[in-house]
Amino acid sequence: MTQPKHTHPLGYVQHTAKQLKDYWFLILLAVWQWDHLTTTWRVVAVLAMVTWLLIWPLLKWLTLTYQLTATAIVVNSGIFVRHHRHIPYSRLQTVQRKQWFYLRPFHLETLQIETASHQDGEPEVQLPAVPLTVADTLERYRRASYHPLSPDAPAPQPATTTPASNNGLGAVQQRYVTNRHTLLLFALTSTGIIPLLLVLLAIYGKLPHKWVDLLVADAQHFALPLLIGGAVALLIIAWLGALIWVLIRYYRFTLTRTPDQLQIAKGLFQRNTITAPLNRVQAVRTKQNILRQWLHLQTVQVLLASKAATDDDDHDLVILPAIAQQQLYSTLHPFIDWVPGVVPQLEHLIVPQHARWLLSRNAVLVVALPVVLLGWLVRPWGWLGLLLIPFAILQGQFAAHNTGGSLLTHQLLVLQTGHFWTRETFFVPREQIQSLQLNWSVWMVKRQLAHLTVNVRHGNHNQAIELRYISAKQAQNIYDWYQGQ
Amino acid sequence: MQTTTQSLPPRIKRIWGYSALGSFLALLVITGLLWLAHTYWHWTVWLAVFGGILTVIEPTIEAALIPYRYRFSRYQITSLAVEIQSGWLFKKRVAIPIARVQNVTLNAGPLLQWQHLTQVTVATAATSHTIEGLELDVAAQLREQIMRLAQEARHDPA
Repeated sequence: MTQPKHTHPLGYVQHTAKQLKDYWFLILLAVWQWDHLTTTWRVVAVLAMVTWLLIWPLLKWLTLTYQLTATAIVVNSGIFVRHHRHIPYSRLQTVQRKQWFYLRPFHLETLQIETASHQDGEPEVQLPAVPLTVADTLERYRRASYHPLSPDAPAPQPATTTPASNNGLGAVQQRYVTNRHTLLLFALTSTGIIPLLLVLLAIYGKLPHKWVDLLVADAQHFALPLLIGGAVALLIIAWLGALIWVLIRYYRFTLTRTPDQLQIAKGLFQRNTITAPLNRVQAVRTKQNILRQWLHLQTVQVLLASKAATDDDDHDLVILPAIAQQQLYSTLHPFIDWVPGVVPQLEHLIVPQHARWLLSRNAVLVVALPVVLLGWLVRPWGWLGLLLIPFAILQGQFAAHNTGGSLLTHQLLVLQTGHFWTRETFFVPREQIQSLQLNWSVWMVKRQLAHLTVNVRHGNHNQAIELRYISAKQAQNIYDWYQGQ
Repeated sequence: MQTTTQSLPPRIKRIWGYSALGSFLALLVITGLLWLAHTYWHWTVWLAVFGGILTVIEPTIEAALIPYRYRFSRYQITSLAVEIQSGWLFKKRVAIPIARVQNVTLNAGPLLQWQHLTQVTVATAATSHTIEGLELDVAAQLREQIMRLAQEARHDPA
């Protein structure tokens, strides 16, 4: 491709859809105010709306062009201010291909490209509705940039047809497809119900007051059963919603490994394919909330230096959404070589017996002020807040019980934490630790305790992995190991 | 405390002293404004009283802690790593290998410029750490060292 190309005309539809999604309230506003407007203002409003919602996306579509050169992808965009973005293939972090079901018959998809630059907000390059061949070509150029040919060899000339077999990824070494049973368990134990509940409550808040008043008037006859019934119904709806949401998002989740890349494909209505180079993985995290601990179910994520996974849990790319604990290490090891093939022993960086109560004490200190305020201001029901105190004590013990870590090899540190009823285990290669910190207070010196913080990059930010109240001697050992290059 | 670590340049104490004086003056102005607000707009007098107490206490504590702050702020720069220590009640010690350093920023406000010192911020791909004051030539040397190492090891960690 030597000439800059426009995206497919369906790209205009995508731009328009996005604009409508972002500014739908303008239409509502116009309809609502319609009767109060004079004819002139009506014309102005309609014209402004057409310009902003239909013509502006058209201009956006017209000004967006892309070009794949031998060394870099070049993207030109911008209506008033022209941007020319030049990204060498060797700098690509993740390539994300999103295909809505209505784009499938046209062999089109949305392509998103990320590098490791420290930019927030939008993905660096987004090409809506480009042919599938673009991503395949990009992939081949990128692989060529990993294995530079000898200088006298001709520049790689990728074919423009799609080899249906391997997606242009190279030899497939490993493949994993989630099974339906574990995915269902995973969806059932999702905590996604909480945001959905909030949304439902917000919708309730937006309902016209007349309806609510009517409902309350009706409710006076059989208030309590209705209230309880309503609450239960709300919970069930939220829970089902969360369940279906997870099932749609992780539909036919597939993880594939080629010699130098990981590829994840998932989703029902929008098929989302993410490719990330293995040597850009900053750390691996396994995670389970307390419900999944009872079911022995784990989630595995990789920490990457790009924002490709902003829809995922904690913005880190999920590579195994739900896997039985016994199979975790034997399944994961073939995909990421440096993660051990067996369950690691984490006996070194643990919280000593005599320090366990400190974690509970701190948790109680955190909730103490809200509990007192609540009890004081909302009498008598506010004192129910006292229930938070045993909850905090248990959380402290949960943290103490789950904190652990070990130097697995001279190059690999394993750390485990227990925050908010969630156990997380991190596998961090030494060369990906950005900095390492020890903290201790005067009182901790006497008890020979210290906090250890390991800083790793994730997304555009820092992931601080903190082990609190571990033995000072062991923490110092890790510090010395990190320093002794 | 290891003997290899170095203290900050002693002149930093003078700067901290002036900065305590600065907070005193700023707080004094705020208290004055609160007093005026009380006189003209009948704001509660307790705001001004609270401001007054803070004006006395905060700079006093800041000034009183200077010897401790100085004694327990240390740093070490070797060919492999930068190490920073600070605090006594809550002690902190951080190690940043030079190979992980992405950039070095030298910052100097008017006070530091006047004493020919500079604040040095070392940033990695994930975090950034600050040494509160260094001699200009030490800072420049650190910057050179990191630039050189960065050129030698041009493989991208991120």
